[in-house]
Amino acid sequence: MKRSKFMAAVAGAAAISTLAACGGGGGGNNNAPTTDDGFQEGGAAGELKDPEAQGPADPIEGAEEGGTINVLLPSPDTGPATLDPTAGWSVTDNSILQNLVFRSLTTYKFDPETGEMVLVPDLATDLGTPNQDFTEWTFTIKDGIRWENGDPVTAEDVAFGIKRSLAGGDLQGPGSKYSKTYFAGAEDYNGPYEDGENYEAVTVDGNDITIEMSQPFPEMDYWGSFMAMGPVPSGPEGEPPGYGQEPLATGPYKVASFRPEVELVLERNDEWDPETDPSRHQYPDEFVFQFNQDTTTSDQIMLSNNAESETTILTALQGSSYQRATEELGDRVVSASQACTGFFFPDYDKITEKEVRQALAFAYPYEDAAAAGGEIPGLTRTFGETILPPGMAGREEFDAIEGETMETNPEKARELLEAAGYADGEYEIRFLSQSGSPEGRAAADQIATALEDAGFSTRIFDYDGSGYDVWTDPDNNIHKQLNVQQVAWCSDWPSGSTFIPALFETGQEYNTGGFSEPSVDEAISEVSSLPVEDQPAAWAELDRTIMQDFFPVIPTGYYNNLFAYGERIGNFQNDAAQGFPNWRDMYVVPEGS
Amino acid sequence: MTVPQMEVTSEVSTAPGAPEQGQKEIAGKSPLRIAFERLRRDWVAMISLLVVLFFVVIAIFAPLIARLLGVSLDTPLASERINLINQLPLEGPPFGGFDPEHPFGVAPRSGQDNLAVWLYGARTSMVIATTAAVLSTVTGVVVGLLAGYLGGVVDRVLMFVTDVFLTIPFLLAALALSPILSDRFGTNPELLGEVKFYSVIGILTVFGWMTMARLIRGEVLSIREREFVQAARVIGVPTSVILRKEILPNLVAPIVVAFSLALPAYVAAEAGLSYLGIGVTDRPSWGQTVAGAVQWFESYPQYLWQPVIGIVLLVIALNLLGDSIRDALDPKTRR
Repeated sequence: MKRSKFMAAVAGAAAISTLAACGGGGGGNNNAPTTDDGFQEGGAAGELKDPEAQGPADPIEGAEEGGTINVLLPSPDTGPATLDPTAGWSVTDNSILQNLVFRSLTTYKFDPETGEMVLVPDLATDLGTPNQDFTEWTFTIKDGIRWENGDPVTAEDVAFGIKRSLAGGDLQGPGSKYSKTYFAGAEDYNGPYEDGENYEAVTVDGNDITIEMSQPFPEMDYWGSFMAMGPVPSGPEGEPPGYGQEPLATGPYKVASFRPEVELVLERNDEWDPETDPSRHQYPDEFVFQFNQDTTTSDQIMLSNNAESETTILTALQGSSYQRATEELGDRVVSASQACTGFFFPDYDKITEKEVRQALAFAYPYEDAAAAGGEIPGLTRTFGETILPPGMAGREEFDAIEGETMETNPEKARELLEAAGYADGEYEIRFLSQSGSPEGRAAADQIATALEDAGFSTRIFDYDGSGYDVWTDPDNNIHKQLNVQQVAWCSDWPSGSTFIPALFETGQEYNTGGFSEPSVDEAISEVSSLPVEDQPAAWAELDRTIMQDFFPVIPTGYYNNLFAYGERIGNFQNDAAQGFPNWRDMYVVPEGS
Repeated sequence: MTVPQMEVTSEVSTAPGAPEQGQKEIAGKSPLRIAFERLRRDWVAMISLLVVLFFVVIAIFAPLIARLLGVSLDTPLASERINLINQLPLEGPPFGGFDPEHPFGVAPRSGQDNLAVWLYGARTSMVIATTAAVLSTVTGVVVGLLAGYLGGVVDRVLMFVTDVFLTIPFLLAALALSPILSDRFGTNPELLGEVKFYSVIGILTVFGWMTMARLIRGEVLSIREREFVQAARVIGVPTSVILRKEILPNLVAPIVVAFSLALPAYVAAEAGLSYLGIGVTDRPSWGQTVAGAVQWFESYPQYLWQPVIGIVLLVIALNLLGDSIRDALDPKTRR
């Protein structure tokens, strides 16, 4: 999966760069994560899915049209490198483009009563019709949907877009995980540009698109919410890489100008018909996204409370400004769940004793490392013992080490080390410091201090690029030297299937510690083929099994965002499904009102 | 070392020509001696010198001073000194008063002692700047001497090389080198730290010698046509001796001036590189502290002021000292 640029440097060595977060919590509304979120019972019944939803979306009370919303995305969030819908696979890219520019088979809608995101039909008339064993899905495309140039969007266009998700190269994106894994015959088909449009698994009949699966895929409706599962014009205008610069919008906004890593300006798309869209609105005239902003400057702009900042949204307030921001902005500082977990991931082949891994868990300075890494413990970083972050379907808390609470406890760590037969300072932990930022180094120093307190010796390897260059590349020279890797992972939708396989299946790219247990591999494929309503509990059970039986990772914390917004931004909400502001329902409060 | 020698020669040369002038003895003074006396009377120069000496002492005795003041570089667990919610120190500035255990306070987030970091940071700055200045001066002088004196093909080749180095953007080279080093030496963190430290010196040297070379070449061009050089050549003095004994002593003034002005430039450049995250990483430096402190300026201004005052004080002192030395050596620029 692609790393989202979102928190990479801020999080620094504390483990931690956010990975492709594209989706996530159907629950877990900010700092009060509840395990009894609706998905578990509602997954099939429809509490968090609403196949009946029809356009237009309910008007927002008091919302007015007009105005420009400025969005500051501080460094290291460099935004999308390309606007191609097939390639987008990070929190920022997907949130902006899926909410505003591209429509797909299904999408999310903010439910003001529960604060949850509900899966609703988008281009399709419903959430798709699976056959008995989820190996064939049929979606019916609505009539009356138009490109920004006024041409109608046909089922063929959508089918072309879906086939495109199997392409590699420039177009490599989330399709490489989901389409490739589940679509029938996908291993032999590399997208329409390489292998032609003739792909038997995706067929069009009138307005109906039928997708054949190679294995049961009960979560196709969730996968359908990705912009990669939306229309792309066949023919020259849809060809990469040009389409990534000038894509054709189907949503309420179209691209007015785009400079990668600098700025994206969206303006009204008059061809978007609200009657067909159950979830989006079109209140502001313009959205201006500014990427890779200086962190200090953006905080200052937000705190200055001048005319410019009144209509501005900041997507990552720095911990250093938090106190002042809460004093001056009050409720307009919002912490919101992201459905991500960071991990300290011991190399499974090098640190073979479970006791040592558990000792590491007691030695790790959860709060100190997070604070040194620029996070605010308890606010932008919360802690727990499960692999699945709060808000995931079926998630249940448990004691990862039976009968113990996992917390920083050097004495306990020493006991475990002794039990494993290691003297004080004998066991060396070698891990990476993302030394490109002061936070990265500070966090690594905290970890080293705490591990040494607990009877380990440490060796820190400095690397001034992104840690993922090292952690995900087993051939990297530094990777070979380390015995603890790190990774952070976000869900693509609130199901364990987007989380556990990617991290704990043998050979997965982001299984950075090289965890490999045949029984877990078996369990993963077993759970994937269970009936959809049994899956959440089964993933949660597997979560417990992995942690209690093998203890392969130390969960270092769950991620929360810290947003701030200006006085004249109306109806600011967190999109818990994407871990980013909900752009669909915002408006600009007119001056003087 | 050339000073006493020149004194001797000048005394010898003046003695026979000067008739006994009675009671008032006229001491023969070399130009350098005169310059030193001027410098001694210049109070700006003396204050600057004191400041510079202060930093030199800090640089040399950083560990000792730190121990005397009871501070160390050891990283404590952040929670021992930091309020993890607002990430500011529990005691001392910015909210509390003076904390005798940490005279400069502690860093936000990590809780590291600021004074210790500041002392060791001074050391890093001084060591890097001095070494780079010495190395680039030596390189520049050698190149300038050879090019200026030998002329012809040697001159053209050396000046071409100088021009080539002048065209390479220094910052770009530094930015490009950093990841290469990380990649090459990343598997050995201790070595990587050392390598980065020396690579900063290397980069500052490699991109710092050219102005010196050009300056020296220009001087040599005019000196080599002077009578005493011509005479030496006529009587068959070897080139190396002419360069060392005849020409070099006449270049002391420009060299000292250029050196004293290069030092502060290197202090600033080192801080700049560290600020960008491509300088030293394995030991504290002022640039790194500045980089980390910028975002705290609002809530904890003292944290940023400390390294900034250190850099400003040192750079200004070195600059003023350099100016004064130039003034002292070259009477024409005196007011």
